[in-house]
Amino acid sequence: MTAWTEEQILAKLRGFIEQEFLYMRPGVQLSDDDSLMKKGVVDSMGVLEVMQFLTDTFDVTPEDDEITEANLGSLRSTAKFVHGKLAQSAA
Amino acid sequence: MCGIAGIARSEPRGVELPVLGRMAAAIRHRGPDGYGFLTGPHVGFAHVRLSIVDLSGGAQPLASEEGRVVVTFNGEIFNYRELAAELKARGHTFHTVSDTEVLVHGWEEWGPRMFDRLNGQFAFALHDRSTQDVILVRDRFGVRPLFHAERNGNLYFASEVKALFASGEVEAAADPEGLDEVFTFWGTRPPRTQFKGVQQLPPGHYAVWREGKLTVRPWYALAYPEARDESTSAIRELDALMRTGVDLRLRADVPVGGYLSGGLDSSITCSLASAASPFSLRTFSVAFDDPRFDESEWQNTLAHELGSEHAVSLISAGHIASDFPDVIRHAETPLVRTAPVPMYRLAKLTRERGIKVVLTGEGADELFLGYDLFKEVSVRLFCARQPQSTARPELFGRVYKYLAGAGGGEFWKNFFLDAGSSDDPLFSHLPRFNLTSRIKDFYGPAMRESLGARDAMGELRDDLPADFAKWSPLNRAAYLEMTTLLSPYLLSSQGDRMGMAHAVEGRYPFLDYRLFEWTAALPTSSKLLGLKEKEILRRWAKDVVPPSIRQRGKQPYRAPDAPSFFGEGSPAWVDDVLDADRVAAYGYFEPKAVAGLVRRARRGQATGFRENQAIVAVLSTQLWHQQFLEGSLPEPLPADGADVLMNDATVLADR
Repeated sequence: MTAWTEEQILAKLRGFIEQEFLYMRPGVQLSDDDSLMKKGVVDSMGVLEVMQFLTDTFDVTPEDDEITEANLGSLRSTAKFVHGKLAQSAA
Repeated sequence: MCGIAGIARSEPRGVELPVLGRMAAAIRHRGPDGYGFLTGPHVGFAHVRLSIVDLSGGAQPLASEEGRVVVTFNGEIFNYRELAAELKARGHTFHTVSDTEVLVHGWEEWGPRMFDRLNGQFAFALHDRSTQDVILVRDRFGVRPLFHAERNGNLYFASEVKALFASGEVEAAADPEGLDEVFTFWGTRPPRTQFKGVQQLPPGHYAVWREGKLTVRPWYALAYPEARDESTSAIRELDALMRTGVDLRLRADVPVGGYLSGGLDSSITCSLASAASPFSLRTFSVAFDDPRFDESEWQNTLAHELGSEHAVSLISAGHIASDFPDVIRHAETPLVRTAPVPMYRLAKLTRERGIKVVLTGEGADELFLGYDLFKEVSVRLFCARQPQSTARPELFGRVYKYLAGAGGGEFWKNFFLDAGSSDDPLFSHLPRFNLTSRIKDFYGPAMRESLGARDAMGELRDDLPADFAKWSPLNRAAYLEMTTLLSPYLLSSQGDRMGMAHAVEGRYPFLDYRLFEWTAALPTSSKLLGLKEKEILRRWAKDVVPPSIRQRGKQPYRAPDAPSFFGEGSPAWVDDVLDADRVAAYGYFEPKAVAGLVRRARRGQATGFRENQAIVAVLSTQLWHQQFLEGSLPEPLPADGADVLMNDATVLADR
């Protein structure tokens, strides 16, 4: 049973992204819906790091066909995706 | 191959031997076989010699028969025998059989019209005593370096910047705009350098110093007069160009070796050299203990096929870290990749095995569109023509195999497709320039302030030649590759500087200007056909290199990056240059950002392109500052050890 709300996941994710990917650009404004890739926040290797973070923190591992812009493109879409996966596994 | 330096003063106050001696000492590694000086009231030249042609008679500086012209010369004029015959027929008397002497007689005979006749790789200074002019000249593609600076009415020039500073009359300071170009293009665009008030003579240019004023003029320009169809005799023409290009570059009075990467280009140069050389060929390769970078299998195949005596420099991550400070001292610039380090070690091995001259395959990828970048341009243009297609972007996975899988593919497809409009003249290079520019995220406030709104890419757009827009997109890409990467980075930081650190001269058959002009006039489809690179070269090479090498896809040359500098066995200099106070004092990068980068690097997390290049950039910039902006003057080479000691009165007598 998960105790994570979508907002908590979002906050945790934001902290992770800011610490690991935006440490050299503290002035950059990143909204919850900005594309992480198009905004140059994460790159190819960064996607792998984000996936590792999801596994370590939420015990959620995206399948290959789930690694898409729709699921992991922004902070909000990633939070939604993780929340959905947690709900699925809890059901 | 050698090193040159000199001073021209507008007032006749003399150029002192200790000053020239210090300049020569700073570049002695380029010429360990001898040295010489010319001193005079206005002009002083220095020369350090690596003996390759006319071992007994080629000492420099060298004067013409009547003492009118004196030269200090770095490089090779490969067609010197033909030029000497022509000059002798016109009445010139030669006292040596060196290529150097061709330059003084050639200048007397033809003046600046001589340059077009030279087939070679060269940087030289002429002192025409009839006019008191000093003329600086650099080869067409920038194989050999030539830097200059003006201070207080004096001109200073040298093969390497460190010799300018060694004069004690040129102070070292960073040029933020030059550094910004390194962090955009990988190297500065000539005439700019990373040092304030120090210029490099652009490839294909010459400069005349007359009455205290320096005028720089072009004598050669790249052009792409692309034909619609391939000539029916194209393969025959290519065969003649390739073979004569190699034959000319085997002219030497010492054995010539070959660098063997395992790819098509160096396989061609080594195969042709092996067939044509009077000496049995010695080959040299870089191998890596990390199989992701290693090409040993292919190198061994060809070495076996050629029956060459083969030697290998095996590179580990530890070597990258241990040799990096020496590499920066020789490259004289911050770097964004560690790839020069293996070339530095390879030159060391080559020299230890007694070889001073090597042929390499450099230039083939620029001439025959071999790099992945050119395929990437084709795919991006193909996608741009039908933006709604979902199938077309899949082709990126065929260009860059590593993009497939692992969730990264989508990022990179977007990265390439969003990189810029096909109307932008820099279209081909925007992905690379933009990716490299991410290093600027780490700039500190002082760097940001001094750069202001400066736009390195905008300046490049403004400087493109008038015909650029008329060329095909792939030829535009080739031009940008030749001018922004080949000369300022590949031929310099990976080429001349790493070789000459150990007095090893690289020769580049693919950079014979006749071959360049021939390929520039080919239809693009003869070079890149669909996604098949170097098409005509592969077709021609079927009788030259084994099928396994010819059919092999291209593997980009890469070396271990950021992780080399951290973890167990990390050398002490890494912590020293990354010290937060030192980062703040030098002022190029934001200490907090560097601390974040180092934290992630130490945890093994800074493994993506952006952080990798940032680590190399930060480390190399810190080392560069420490070595050049905090350096001291070297001890001068003593005048009594010189092979040539010429002054104004003895130019004739000493000739």
